[in-house]
Amino acid sequence: MSLGRSISKYAAITRINLQNNLAYVGELAYRSIFMVVILYVFVQLWRTTFGVVGSDRIAGLSLSDTIWYLVMTETVMLSKIRFAGKIAEEVRDGSLAYTVGRPYSYLLYHFFYGIGDTLLRLAINFMAGSILVTLLVGPMPATNLPALLVVVMLAIILDFCINGLIGLLAFFTEDVESFVLIYNKALFILGGMMIPLDFFPTWLRDLSLALPFNLAIYAPARLFVQFNGSRWANVVALQMIWIVVFMLLLGLMFRWGMRRVSINGG
Amino acid sequence: MPIIDVRDLSKTFSVKRKEAGLRGSLKSIIRPEFRRVEAVKGITFSLEPGELLAFIGPNGAGKSTTIKMLTGILYPSSGQAQVLGLTPWRDRRQLAYRIGSVFGQKPQLWYHLPPIDTFNLFAKIYELDDRGFRQRMAFLIESFEIGDWVHTPVRKLSLGQRMRCEIAASLLHRPHVIFLDEPTIGLDVVAKQQIRDTIKTLHEQEGVTIFLTSHDAGDIESLCKRVIIVNHGAILYDDRLSALKRRYLTRKEIDVRFAEALTDGFQLDEVEVLKVGAYGVKLQFDTRDTPVDVVIQRLMADRAVVDINIADPPLEEIIARIYQEPQSS
Repeated sequence: MSLGRSISKYAAITRINLQNNLAYVGELAYRSIFMVVILYVFVQLWRTTFGVVGSDRIAGLSLSDTIWYLVMTETVMLSKIRFAGKIAEEVRDGSLAYTVGRPYSYLLYHFFYGIGDTLLRLAINFMAGSILVTLLVGPMPATNLPALLVVVMLAIILDFCINGLIGLLAFFTEDVESFVLIYNKALFILGGMMIPLDFFPTWLRDLSLALPFNLAIYAPARLFVQFNGSRWANVVALQMIWIVVFMLLLGLMFRWGMRRVSINGG
Repeated sequence: MPIIDVRDLSKTFSVKRKEAGLRGSLKSIIRPEFRRVEAVKGITFSLEPGELLAFIGPNGAGKSTTIKMLTGILYPSSGQAQVLGLTPWRDRRQLAYRIGSVFGQKPQLWYHLPPIDTFNLFAKIYELDDRGFRQRMAFLIESFEIGDWVHTPVRKLSLGQRMRCEIAASLLHRPHVIFLDEPTIGLDVVAKQQIRDTIKTLHEQEGVTIFLTSHDAGDIESLCKRVIIVNHGAILYDDRLSALKRRYLTRKEIDVRFAEALTDGFQLDEVEVLKVGAYGVKLQFDTRDTPVDVVIQRLMADRAVVDINIADPPLEEIIARIYQEPQSS
């Protein structure tokens, strides 16, 4: 199998799902409304917090930094690939019989299936959030956008791998909703989605930084508000290491799962 | 050399047993109880290239499980199988280029897009070259008569139209073996017949090997030369259709509605009366004793007939009769 054919295979998957999702034009608007509402609430919340603390900066972050940080965490959170739910759905309705039986890698298929939609969401959510936050607290922090995009993409891939590990549990248990919920809560707190890890007590911050969740949410958002070359290199290296680890696990779990799965229907 | 060769293939599932209600749910989390279900119990058969096999049986007989093992998406619990010289569950991706499958109860076409978009996607996935793909598509569009619909979003197609597009999608890469799992399920009589004609044309023109599952006796009668009947995961019957027809598909059911109410009951020679209603009756008879036309003539001779419906008895009944008969050659 040549590389060119391989690429055009997976590119075609991205393209068709993007086309399919464009059928829901209304949902695109709805998505950005959600983003705007959430950010509006956060702005009020943090404005009050900074007022009560009575200082311009908390742990090195200004109000504007904090809000822009949240623009990025929300953007990633609301745009990432919903892989786990998709696997569970395929196991439940039996469409796994089709998706697993084609000449491609099942895991890559889903990555490229989701990535088109994710890029679209990233752009829409980021723009919607940026417009609102620019109006409410001021302009975007100057930052190195291309370098940041690398970190965001790696964050999406890392999350995809973790999501996949959770999703493959559906091969054994059928329902993974509760595991997804736990994972998302981990991202809320340990990933730094709700509050920048910098604001945490030392022990919790150290714990969060040692776990991979921060690399999916906190790391890109923190670099977004205060870019720093060596910090960037460090984040990228860590992201890549975790991605390799999770990919290996994912491959093993998929093979093991295929031996165990029973496909519903008929 | 057989194109499909199956030896002692078995599949046992562990199914979680759950009692009713919240209490049952909690219990199944804390101490799950598993029940073993033997979906397929050591089946053995083989198929020569170009054969059209009907693999039939009632719901839950193990038909789909067998197909899923032969297409490599389920691992068997024990036994062996070779499809095109490959072991399906081990060489799944290689095999995928050379087999096609259609699962009648599951959609593979993108719902909001016209079928042509899915066709184009499959051309990439199966790595078809451009010219070959265009030719193939033109051929399928013509022989399946789907030219009018390939540019219509799938959500706007009827089930019958969609099914023909679903099948066409599975044939784009010129598979050597085609697995059709209940391709006519849920369709009306006309659409069923159209699908059957399509399958027949395909088989005649291309000489591909077809493995068809169904629980509709009509599918077999109009399509296949060879029949395997499975029940409870085991092969009950494996022979030519003509033999099955001669021995078991000899009975017909007729539903008749009359113009006037039946006042004094109903009776007809050599015909078993299953049900008598106010305006109609349901009959069953053996076509070896009384051909269909004779029965109809007799019915029309006595009373004015408004509606008449002739059908095969359900497969379950045929299976019951195979069980009843002593096993002979």
